[in-house]
Amino acid sequence: MVGFVLIVAIVLIALMVFLVISIRNRTEFKQSDDVENFVNVLMMHTTGCAIVYEPDYDSVQDLIKSCYNNKKCINLNKMACDYLNESLNLIMEKVMETDASVSAYELNIVHENDEERSYIIHPILRGNCSGSVYGGQQVISVDSGKITVIAKFCYN
Amino acid sequence: MVNSLKNKAQMKIQQMAFMIVAVLIFFVLVGLAFLGWQLISVKDNFNSLQKEQAIASIRTISDMPEFNCDSRRSLCVDEDKLIVMANSSYSGFWNVASISAYKILEKKSYLVYDSKQKDKKEFSTYVLICKKITSNYEKCDLGKLSVGVVNV
Repeated sequence: MVGFVLIVAIVLIALMVFLVISIRNRTEFKQSDDVENFVNVLMMHTTGCAIVYEPDYDSVQDLIKSCYNNKKCINLNKMACDYLNESLNLIMEKVMETDASVSAYELNIVHENDEERSYIIHPILRGNCSGSVYGGQQVISVDSGKITVIAKFCYN
Repeated sequence: MVNSLKNKAQMKIQQMAFMIVAVLIFFVLVGLAFLGWQLISVKDNFNSLQKEQAIASIRTISDMPEFNCDSRRSLCVDEDKLIVMANSSYSGFWNVASISAYKILEKKSYLVYDSKQKDKKEFSTYVLICKKITSNYEKCDLGKLSVGVVNV
């Protein structure tokens, strides 16, 4: 009887060690070609914001830089950050409408340098995730560090 | 005295046999649980590999001169080319069951080709759908390119 209990205890300890290792190796999200494509394409999407003159409209990537530099959309009389926030919220909503397999999403735009890490706009998130999280990111270089755009989709 | 010892020994042997069977059953159960877990991850890997391959095919199709905006940009589809291809009879040219594109914000779709095969599976990925408005202004929208492949 003592032998059986010993074997069960050893197997349970081995299982727990295995579980802890597999949980530690698990990243926040799995890299996905689809979400990676989404971020790349999103960066090139033309917005309705012209910083200098019309029709020189910013792409989402340029609008992020304009927002970081605190610029204004002259054609809309709005701050670039406000318009960026509005546009991205709308785009993410439409994406979720068109893809039934996406149950939740999160979009973060973060500025980083050696000293600090701060959000350019508030994280855009919606839905409750009960499936697997897949993500993609793109880095934009700016004079004082880098801006990272991270998109995460939860698929059922 | 001898009988009592014999009974005790038989009891010990029975206990040992029971233990061995119990240990065996325990290991079989642990093995089955592990195998089930592994099978789930194999199925997940198969699905994501299948999707990755389909996305690679979509990338190839979107980079074809019949669709792409220019040779420098990948995953960029010219909207005018889509309109032309949707109205042409290129049916024998494509090695897939269907091709369609969709502009997400404008909710506008283009059916380029459909073989009308029933047993097909659709894969899609995000592409940029661009339209030249003037010689120096191009409007690009977030879109999806879908490709249907025959289920095997």
